[in-house]
Amino acid sequence: MSQALLLKPDRKFVEDIVKSGGGDLKKCYQCATCSVVCELSTETAPFPRKEMIWAQWGLKDRLITDPDIWRCHQCNDCSIRCPRGARPGDVLAAVRQKSIEHHAFPSFLARAVNQVKFYPLLLVMVPALLLTLALVLRGPVEAILPFQEHGDAFYAGVFPHWLLIGFYSPFTTISFLGLLVGLARFWRGMAAADKEQGREPVLGVIPSVIRIVTSTLVHDRFAKCTDKAGRRLSHLMAFYGFNVLFIVTVWATIDIYLMPLLGVDSLYPFDLVHPMKILGNVGGVLLIAGAILALRDRLTDNSESGFSTSFDWTFVWLLLLVGITGFATEVFRFIVDPAQRTALEYAAYTFYFVHLVIVFSLLVYLPYSKFAHIFYRTVALVYAEHTGRTQEAGRAELKAAPEPKMISSS
Amino acid sequence: MDKKVAVYICRGCDIGDSLDIDALTSVAQENEAEICREHDCLCGDEGCELIKKDVQEGANALVVAACTPRFKTDTFTFDGCRTERVNLREQVVWSHEPNDEDTQMMAEDYLRMGLARAKKADLPEPFDEEINETILVVGGGLTGMAAAIDAAGAGHDIVIVEKEPQLGGWAGKFSKTFPHKPPYREPEPIPIKERIAQVEGNDRITVHTGATIEKISGQPGQFDVTLKTNGSNPEFRVGAIVQATGWRPYDASRLGYLGYGKSANVITNVQMEEMIAAGEIKLPGNGKKARRIAFIQCAGSRDEDHLPYCSTVCCRVTIKQALIAREMNPDTEAYVLYKDIRTPGQYEDFYRRAQEDAGIFFTKGDVTGVEVVGDSLQVEAENTLLGEKIKVEADLVVLATGLVPNSADGEAIRKYDDATSVIAKGEAGAQLEAAKVTVEELKHLEGSSILNLEYRQGPDLPQLKYEFPDSHFICFPYESRRTGIYTAGCVRIPNDSQASQEDGAGAALKAIQTLRTAKQGQAVHPRWGDQSFPDFALQRCTQCKRCTEECPFGTLNEDVKGTPLPNPTRCRRCGICMGACPERIISFADYSVNIISSMIKAVEIPDEFEEKPRLLGLLCENDAYPSLDTAGLKRIRHSAYIRFIPVRCLGSVNTVWIADALSRGYDGILLIGCKSGTDYQCHFITGSELMEKRSENIQEKLKQLALEEERVQLVQMPITDYEKLPQVINEFAEQIEEMGMNPFKGF
Repeated sequence: MSQALLLKPDRKFVEDIVKSGGGDLKKCYQCATCSVVCELSTETAPFPRKEMIWAQWGLKDRLITDPDIWRCHQCNDCSIRCPRGARPGDVLAAVRQKSIEHHAFPSFLARAVNQVKFYPLLLVMVPALLLTLALVLRGPVEAILPFQEHGDAFYAGVFPHWLLIGFYSPFTTISFLGLLVGLARFWRGMAAADKEQGREPVLGVIPSVIRIVTSTLVHDRFAKCTDKAGRRLSHLMAFYGFNVLFIVTVWATIDIYLMPLLGVDSLYPFDLVHPMKILGNVGGVLLIAGAILALRDRLTDNSESGFSTSFDWTFVWLLLLVGITGFATEVFRFIVDPAQRTALEYAAYTFYFVHLVIVFSLLVYLPYSKFAHIFYRTVALVYAEHTGRTQEAGRAELKAAPEPKMISSS
Repeated sequence: MDKKVAVYICRGCDIGDSLDIDALTSVAQENEAEICREHDCLCGDEGCELIKKDVQEGANALVVAACTPRFKTDTFTFDGCRTERVNLREQVVWSHEPNDEDTQMMAEDYLRMGLARAKKADLPEPFDEEINETILVVGGGLTGMAAAIDAAGAGHDIVIVEKEPQLGGWAGKFSKTFPHKPPYREPEPIPIKERIAQVEGNDRITVHTGATIEKISGQPGQFDVTLKTNGSNPEFRVGAIVQATGWRPYDASRLGYLGYGKSANVITNVQMEEMIAAGEIKLPGNGKKARRIAFIQCAGSRDEDHLPYCSTVCCRVTIKQALIAREMNPDTEAYVLYKDIRTPGQYEDFYRRAQEDAGIFFTKGDVTGVEVVGDSLQVEAENTLLGEKIKVEADLVVLATGLVPNSADGEAIRKYDDATSVIAKGEAGAQLEAAKVTVEELKHLEGSSILNLEYRQGPDLPQLKYEFPDSHFICFPYESRRTGIYTAGCVRIPNDSQASQEDGAGAALKAIQTLRTAKQGQAVHPRWGDQSFPDFALQRCTQCKRCTEECPFGTLNEDVKGTPLPNPTRCRRCGICMGACPERIISFADYSVNIISSMIKAVEIPDEFEEKPRLLGLLCENDAYPSLDTAGLKRIRHSAYIRFIPVRCLGSVNTVWIADALSRGYDGILLIGCKSGTDYQCHFITGSELMEKRSENIQEKLKQLALEEERVQLVQMPITDYEKLPQVINEFAEQIEEMGMNPFKGF
């Protein structure tokens, strides 16, 4: 600590944060109200004041490897109480985006995916073209490999399961490998920064993971945020909605391909009363409701809930759309009679196609979008737990803290 | 003047219900009052008519026994009459047991004292001196020009003396100032040319540039000024003086630890200002553009080793310079390292403006040093909010140095002059040695005088803390210890140009007030309207020089022998000279050693077997007296054994009164005055301090008389401590009762 830190202000990075929603960053005059009002900030590792100073001086290296930025749930308790209007909550959100973009692999993709001008290309055209290509290639592939389709032939007639699995698996695998690279970089960055600072781990990684997973299941830390308590509810709904749907999808795949191998008949497509079907519908409702609540929150009370950037909007809208198109797909299945080739049938296929495109955008670009927070935040929280950041200092430690130096008041 | 004493006793405000008024009337008659009347409400129209009628019939020494003299002053003031007020309300009936023997005795004593004074005191006759109404403004910067323009607007002729070849001061050398109007965001040009044109175009204002003051003699209304210029040495007379001599930057050569002197690229904010005015910010070292500029705030300010105070402007100046530097070259990055950013009031918006700029970086911290590393400089700071030591690399370091007043220490210069004259006279022994030491210590003051006043007590205003000329910031802004000379702008208090110009107007108003009151033969603050002034019975003067030395306002000059030479318009009528004079030759028409002595003697002292001690209280009338009134208003009781006499200042207490009181049989004497010391509250600055010194002598006397030292006590109290005052009085009374009676009683 005796070695002085040489500040090399990175104006570009400051400007980046400003552009990404931290526009009031420079207003901070370092009073620390934010760190005091934050229910999640601890004595051993307080935030967001130090992040505000780092951000003002453009200390990029410090910020992107700072696990504390992920301990913030952007309830904006701090932004509401900031006497200067510097909106620390929004600044941290912007820094989180920068942290994802910095660690993501390949990083050019991260930078591109988060630019609105590339949305039509990356979020719509690429997946649509790839999917169309897959559909075109279906015939030739079937000619070579005799895939057997199970169950209802309505959607599967056009988009057979083997095709979807064959289409999504490679893309998501590659994307998740990229994500792993990013997360590994992130972890190493955090560890290196702590080594420099002389901070030692205090808890094993496995117990840390257990703590964080259990904590996440109930969103107990989110519950500490006071001013925007509603955010916790919408997040819980979307969180469980998405996870339930993910589990149901995995189960469906197992049901279709693994069960027959075990000699059990596939039940797919499930009946409306099948537990998995019920679960899936509940998940869909939760996802849509969560997304709608989140959108309503962002749309109606912009000042308090924080400044929303395209990074935020895109993610929530995609979640909502994936839910809506999913349900639409399901409903069409019941109302369309495949025997009669009606316009409805084409609408059904179209919705399904849109649904599939959105699923691609959501899953394949996950490591580069706001969706990545599900992993970065988890990793950062585990790391924070691992290094004792969430512990409140004991009384003894507080007493041992040096007295603040008095500056002459004359 | 023949005196016709008339006594009026008011029965209103509980007085009639609490006292035996008939007995009081008898006291008045016993004491040669020609008229004695009572009334239920003396201050009402009927009561006043009563008095007016007597006045018409020749009554001229009026004794009004009613409320405190601080109320109804105008009501009881009658042309050609002197009114003595006996405070029966606040200090007798409201603060004592009604219809009690001791209360009655107290009231009777106060009436006797009032009568004693009324018989001896005369109505002051104001002096009649010729008053010149021109105002001299020393310093032609923004402050001086503002004072000149405002005073000229009020109808006075003005002479400005400026030592530089042109008007304008610092403001004339700088290109822009921080904003003074909404929205307080962008630096503004300084309208200095317009201001100078305004001065030069004003018929009432005469300007002498390139001129300094050779000497100033005389007194308010009659200051004779001689200037020193390149050619002629003009002489003229003025009535009052505004000193607006401004500031100089703190000597940065003492800031070596901040790199000043180590590298040419470490400069002061004034040097930065000059570069900005020249139109280009470049590195003094190599002439290259300065891309990274670090501003170090409080460079030598708020630092006990340098300037202990805040100069108030440096934060705003730095913000302005950073914004201008960024505007001149958008590549520039400005780093501001501060202890605290102080941008009072609306100037916070100016700070916000700079914060918005992506190229200006702020951080709090204590700068510990500046090192030269290759071509660049590294500023190191600790106690930052980052929680660690930091270093910032910069090409140019600007030290935000503070403002030092351009003042001269009149009293120290006088010491130096006295010491040099001792050496010149060729005196020998210890005196010579002491003089040599003084000369050595104060040699740096040679030629430092600004005003060159021909005052016994030194050629310039005395100084308070940090070289600022004496001015009581808290109670009496602009007030100085040299009547008719007022400081304004940064010489008085560090401030920005706008506040300094307002200061100029304030000082100009003080100067005008002095002239107006002098014209009417009246005192200025704090004895507004007082027309009495000290009379010196010089045939008995022993040239001890105590009066000339002790006058806090430098009123008295001396002739060669040391005889005091009065200057009535310099005088504030505090009576400190009267308290000082061992020969008791100084007196005022209505306030003298003799008058107060007779008041002391007017009190009836019960004999020692009556077990009723008598205490004398000498009460400063500026703070202690109103404080006791307030206690009375709140019905807080104090001992009925004490008799108070208000004094103009504790410094005016002549020790002979104490001796008189003790020999008369008083058992104890309590002196109550204002706080002395650096943060004095004494209205006459040194009065209570002088009394402290004199009471040391009194203690000696008491010892010689084999009396207990505690019989005479000195208490200093702020006016706000009125709740404690009765307690102090009561404790004193208890102490004296315990001690027993004065053995000199009855002799």
